[in-house]
Amino acid sequence: MSSQASAPLIHPPTLSGILRALFQADLTAQLRNGRALLLTFFPPIAVLYGLSAGKRRAQLGGPIVDVALALTLGIALIAILGYTASVARDRELGVFQRLRVTPAPTWTIMVSRLAVQILSMLAMTVVVLVAAAVVEKVTLDPTAYLLTLAMVIVSSAVFLGVGQALVGLIKSVDTVNAVGRLSFLPLVALGLFGHSDIFGTTFETISRWSPGGAVATLLSGAMQPAAWSADTWWAFLASVLYAIVFAGVGIRWFQWSTR
Amino acid sequence: MSSTGEIAIHRLALQVEDLHVSYGAKRAVDGVSLEINEGEIFGLLGPNGAGKTSTLSAIEGLVRPDSGSIRVGDVDAGANPTAAKARMGVQLQSTSFQSDLTIREIVRLYAGLYGVSLSPVEIGDLLADVHLGEEASKRFSQLSGGQQKRVSLLIATIHDPPLVLLDEPTAGLDPQARRQLWDRIERLRDIGRSILLTTHSMEEAQAVCHRVAIIDRGKLLTVDTPAGLIEKHKDDPRVRKVAHGQVTLEDVFIGLTGSELRD
Repeated sequence: MSSQASAPLIHPPTLSGILRALFQADLTAQLRNGRALLLTFFPPIAVLYGLSAGKRRAQLGGPIVDVALALTLGIALIAILGYTASVARDRELGVFQRLRVTPAPTWTIMVSRLAVQILSMLAMTVVVLVAAAVVEKVTLDPTAYLLTLAMVIVSSAVFLGVGQALVGLIKSVDTVNAVGRLSFLPLVALGLFGHSDIFGTTFETISRWSPGGAVATLLSGAMQPAAWSADTWWAFLASVLYAIVFAGVGIRWFQWSTR
Repeated sequence: MSSTGEIAIHRLALQVEDLHVSYGAKRAVDGVSLEINEGEIFGLLGPNGAGKTSTLSAIEGLVRPDSGSIRVGDVDAGANPTAAKARMGVQLQSTSFQSDLTIREIVRLYAGLYGVSLSPVEIGDLLADVHLGEEASKRFSQLSGGQQKRVSLLIATIHDPPLVLLDEPTAGLDPQARRQLWDRIERLRDIGRSILLTTHSMEEAQAVCHRVAIIDRGKLLTVDTPAGLIEKHKDDPRVRKVAHGQVTLEDVFIGLTGSELRD
């Protein structure tokens, strides 16, 4: 054995240093991922344009609801398709196991990823609100803009919770992606009719209290604070409950490795 | 190692006592105890499924042991896992890094996770040192197997840890890449770092390790220097049965763990 061994000085990393390193890497990966960028900006803008041009727009709830539905779709896409796909893929590749053998606490690995997703959702929100001002002539007062951004963060918890539940309950990357797409129907598309009685009042009620419907109600309420009602509070409460239940399932059954 | 008559006092880089690890009803590690001295290369040998990776995983903090204690230097890994992880560098058996990051960005990330501040120039120097200067802007998946192993070893040692854990570091490498990797591992040894590695190559274990342990079915069967193991077991009937002429480390290994194929 070596006799000239010099003991290295160990400086344990700081929590802020760990979070900074993870966030920088996760943000770089997100910005470089073309699919993630496409999912972030294109579909909500397309939906906003589609709804504004549709003949039945009044039946769906009007311009504010159009914007809320576009935001709901954008948040759900980023969380359910983007977030779950990246977590499932990195878990399959062993990226998380490599990170877990470093001094980084495991919660920092997920917090960094979630922070990047929330940042993407806020960026998407800004772009959609600018498009709404141009396309729908929907302009809000400063308080409404701030409240909308705050409620986007609450809404993000619902769909990131759904995404976490998917990767918690399913190990295979392909299955996560397939189930993520399928879950769009009950979780998001159903919410499209939460402000419309096209299919009858029973369907409207189910739609309104589905995750997508609750989030759309919450966001449309945030965009008109003066009209914030008991329904908006119920939508807020439902969103918080959905977030707790889905995130609870996702955290309880999440495994860092597929092996 | 100390020569006869000298009193050698070695500080321990790693101390594992009575380690038990189970996956459901399957017991993967069954009462393993081992000590690694500072500046020592210690090889853990065993057939597939013997418990090598499970032992390493418990030391690395990837699996929670059922019982037993692990000390990295003077740090109790069970009580203070963060401090223990800061004192070791790890190369996993199959490693991958974020597929959207370049090698340069991966090095910067892991340096940050270990609290090491590196300028872009320093990162470039580190990559050039492992002959990857030209590959700095590539993704990990674009590298050859040998280059990937060099990146993994660079990251495992980026914080200059006193203890380095290497799980089958040369598996799948061609002879040139394997030789290069062993040169790097020997350089670590030469500056006094302790290394715990697993390998299926008896030649490598014999050539590089100060001591080796043979593990099978979760239990440590024997521990000694390669020459000491041969000496200790050369007359064992199970070893004599598989030896062709002079007893080798491989004969001892097969004699003690059996000839049947393992999955």
